[in-house]
Amino acid sequence: MLDLELLKNEALKAISEADTRSLEELRIEYLSKKGKIQGLMAQMRDLSSEEKPKFGQMVNDLKNVVSAAIDEKKEKLDQELLNARLKSEKIDISLDGYVPKNGTLHPLTLVQKELEDVFIGMGYNVAEGPEVETDLYNFTRANTPEGHPARDMQDTFYVDPTHLLRSQTTAIQMRVLEQEAGNLPIKVICPGKVYRRDDDDATHSHQFMQCEGLVIGENITVADLKGTLELMIRELFSKDAKIRFRPSYFPFTEPSFEVDMTCHICGGKGCPTCKGTGWIEILGSGMVHPNVLEMAGIDSKKYTGFAFGAGIERIAMLKYGITDIRDLYTNDIRFLEGFRR
Amino acid sequence: MKLSLKWLSSFMDISDLSVEQIVDQMVKCGFEVEEIIRLSQGSNLIVGKVIECQNHPDSDHLHVTKVDIGSQVLDIVCGAPNCREGLKVIVAQVGAKLPDGEIKASTIRGAESNGMLCSLKELGVDENLLPADSCSHNGIEELDDRFEIGDTDILEKLGYDDTILDVSVYANRPDCLSMFAMAKEMGAILNRKVALPEYEGKSEIGKKSAFKLTSLSENCPHFLAKVVHHVTIKESPEWMKQHLRANGVKCINNLVDISNYVMLETGQPLHFYDLRSNPAMEITVRDDYSGPYVALDGIEYQIEKGDLMITSEGKPIGIAGIMGGDNTKILDDTSSLIIEAALFDHAQIRRTANRLGLQTEAAARFSKGLEPLSQNKAVDRAVQLLIELADAEDFEETVEYGKPDYEPYQIKETLNHLNALIGKAYTMEEATDVLRRLDFRYTNDQEAFYVEIPSYRSTDLRIPEDIDEEIVRLTDFDDLVSTLPLMPQTVGRLSSMQKMRRVIRETLTNHGMFDTVNYTLVSDRYIKEAVLPKGDAVELVSPLSDARRYVRTSLMNSLLEALSYNLAHYNENVSLFEISKVYARDIEEERLGIIMQGNLIDNKIKHISVSSDFYVMKGILLQILSKLGFEMGRITLMENDLDTIHFHPYQSAVLCMDNEILCIFGKLHPNYLRAFKLNDVCYAEMILSVLEQAKPAKVKAPVLSRYPSVSRDISLLMNEDIKAADLLSEIRKAGGRLVKKAEVFDVYQGEHIEDGYKSVSLNIVYEDKEKTLKTEEVNEIHERVLNDLLSHFNAVQR
Repeated sequence: MLDLELLKNEALKAISEADTRSLEELRIEYLSKKGKIQGLMAQMRDLSSEEKPKFGQMVNDLKNVVSAAIDEKKEKLDQELLNARLKSEKIDISLDGYVPKNGTLHPLTLVQKELEDVFIGMGYNVAEGPEVETDLYNFTRANTPEGHPARDMQDTFYVDPTHLLRSQTTAIQMRVLEQEAGNLPIKVICPGKVYRRDDDDATHSHQFMQCEGLVIGENITVADLKGTLELMIRELFSKDAKIRFRPSYFPFTEPSFEVDMTCHICGGKGCPTCKGTGWIEILGSGMVHPNVLEMAGIDSKKYTGFAFGAGIERIAMLKYGITDIRDLYTNDIRFLEGFRR
Repeated sequence: MKLSLKWLSSFMDISDLSVEQIVDQMVKCGFEVEEIIRLSQGSNLIVGKVIECQNHPDSDHLHVTKVDIGSQVLDIVCGAPNCREGLKVIVAQVGAKLPDGEIKASTIRGAESNGMLCSLKELGVDENLLPADSCSHNGIEELDDRFEIGDTDILEKLGYDDTILDVSVYANRPDCLSMFAMAKEMGAILNRKVALPEYEGKSEIGKKSAFKLTSLSENCPHFLAKVVHHVTIKESPEWMKQHLRANGVKCINNLVDISNYVMLETGQPLHFYDLRSNPAMEITVRDDYSGPYVALDGIEYQIEKGDLMITSEGKPIGIAGIMGGDNTKILDDTSSLIIEAALFDHAQIRRTANRLGLQTEAAARFSKGLEPLSQNKAVDRAVQLLIELADAEDFEETVEYGKPDYEPYQIKETLNHLNALIGKAYTMEEATDVLRRLDFRYTNDQEAFYVEIPSYRSTDLRIPEDIDEEIVRLTDFDDLVSTLPLMPQTVGRLSSMQKMRRVIRETLTNHGMFDTVNYTLVSDRYIKEAVLPKGDAVELVSPLSDARRYVRTSLMNSLLEALSYNLAHYNENVSLFEISKVYARDIEEERLGIIMQGNLIDNKIKHISVSSDFYVMKGILLQILSKLGFEMGRITLMENDLDTIHFHPYQSAVLCMDNEILCIFGKLHPNYLRAFKLNDVCYAEMILSVLEQAKPAKVKAPVLSRYPSVSRDISLLMNEDIKAADLLSEIRKAGGRLVKKAEVFDVYQGEHIEDGYKSVSLNIVYEDKEKTLKTEEVNEIHERVLNDLLSHFNAVQR
């Protein structure tokens, strides 16, 4: 009996001190068929038949204890080994990650896309038209006949006496009105490039982009215009933006309004961006002039509608804090890289 | 429009309103105020008398003075050269706030100074608004006998207590460029009663006139002339000078001042001629003169046919509506004059003024349009003022050519229509209150109101909606509710081209390329050096510069410019693209331009780099086409024999879609790149309009094979000119339907390969859709394919 206890202590001590290699030797030393524990069975012969099963049981228990101790020790040694390996694999997590190279959409494309998505969601189509236009669609149909002072307002690039680079996306609206006169109602937005004889500086560009909108139907009101624009501004700038109308003048709308939105920087409290007023001028709008409808062959007694137009550069500049319009046409990728979203 | 609040207050009482309140109301009613100009600024000012003035011992220009301001005597150091004993001066006392800061007690080089003696300029008065003889140009202001020691109303007495609003006036309101109409407008905005001078009809006096007046141009439909004898030239009264100065008009003498003043009041430019310069007593307006002409400013202008000229005895005496002549102007000894008030076509005046670069007040007013009765009104007012201020009494009757184009008319509007358009519920009282404020005559019943439109609003107010705008404009509008249009449902969608652009942009940005927007207008050289140009370029009649004279016919040069800019600004490995329309006469095309330089992928950490070469470009182009749904079978690749001036003749190609030219791409020619200081650039220009016409294939789910495929490789040595595409099509021909896939995976030239030859490694995958291929079957086909390649291309197996 004493032998068993001694052997157990001896084995456990040896196991606890073993390393990976000696542990395998210990397993052979104690647990193999010719091992020390099996060797105890030789003592069986000297035992009485009552004691034999008891002894057998004890030897078996000892075998299990030693085997478990070896397994446990092995698991422990394996873990130590693994931990050592993992430690040796330590990396500098502060090194740069692998970023697949990505380009960006131009800020003007971004704003145009955002406008398109807002209005498509409201059931609008996106109309386009030629940039080399006729004076008919650019001016005459927009209630701006030959000699009208508004033709002076927009110093235009003429190509010949009747052709020009369109100076306003209103030209697209006039084409849509003509095409869809027999297919009312109309709900479109008209984004595109326009051109004016302005010298380029921080706030002027001879080429820029507009996005106009046009809705023609029955019983369309200024209140509908306000609701529509409020929705647009809230999508583009901030959920709680408000708008206000100021009377204005455009030849193709009557009445006409300048639209201000609450300053998106200060929320209307007043700051340098809004020159302390809390308001920022964002677009022009109005109810489509009856002359414009009639010229397109639409009964102005039955149908009314609204139109609005915003500068895409202006929206981009306000939205992204761009201070020089020329930055939008330099295409410096250090600038473009800023528009990841 | 420069609106003097002091002048305005002579027509209505606005004493209870602050400048800010007035501006706020104007903005709400549709008048933007660009600038608020205070003619002068200064608090704590008092009249003082210099009772002692000595030179400062430590300075060569300072004076040490004692100034009596009534309540006390102040020690003040003054640097003005005109400072002397006995002067009455403006004293800014300690604590006075001037435009440049606050006055503090100080010691100047040892001398005590308790205030400042002021020039009007130091009180913020603009140099141009000072009378020519004012001491303030070079020193302190010297006050005259009107001022007593201790007076504090100095700026008021001098007439500099005014505030000018720089009002921007919309093109539909040229009437607001005249003070009388603006006063009416302000009356409506501020809800004040307006009292304008009674002057209409004042010119209906005078003896018979022999003056002859004709117009030979339809661009001068109405002309009034009136001869006035025995006028006295003198200085204008102070109030008139103040109003003129406030508007930035120089005061000359009463006659010239009256003509300018009446223009400011009525909006009608007037011209006064010295009667002596017109012995023929005749004026003819014509537009057939051409040649040089010296105007009032002494400059010679080149007049062309079409320009309106005032002539007498066939000789020009003034550029109509723009500037009078030097030889007919009012002189210091003028005693008799001719008043001219005419209507000239606004477009013609604008054309002439623009061409001559002569933007006078008169030209600006004619260009913007006059109210139809303004000629008569201006002559009436001029006669009234000449009597009052120039002792005129000997008039000839007014001579008239043509007549004003104006018939009184009414506009009818109903409450229903008004409210249906606006989306509000105006009452009849609210609507007619606006008409009352505008001083319009009207009648109304329960549903409708009938408005008589005064002549000065006749260019603007023509239809009921115009009246609606007046009502909206002059009532509080911030309470308008927000609604959305109630109408049949519509489905919003992008067109196929709009969708295509989005797919392309997404694909290219995912490859690390940047979306750009470039200028449409380019130089002559960029037109000559265009890629795939179509038709004649569109040229501007009056470009801003030669660099922006033409509408571009291709995108390449814009992208080269953008690339070159980027490389010059510390960027490397730049890939850009642009989607834009290009134009030629009667042609519009949508195009895509892609430019790549350096490496498309260049990741140092991962040691990956992919150089932007022909194959990268080709792969990306085909990827775009496949993303857009165009099967490769419809696309053909051809050698580039279209353009080897811009493109590398041996590393470029042309893509066709359904046999139409779609795209040219490849490396750019080093000779062409030299001008942009670039090298090794790949470029592609694709005509997206071609794709717009072509219908993309429907998406179909692939059918997966149930049987395994077998892959075999072959390496062949062959002539270097043999094309991969020919090898692959030969494989398909020989292998038939069992060839599932065939591709070239390596091409090698160099060591161990004879010059003029190359080693090509091919991978072929065999598959039968109906059964598992046995090894013997594969061997047999593969053998056939191999032998075919060897014999057909004269190749050797390696």
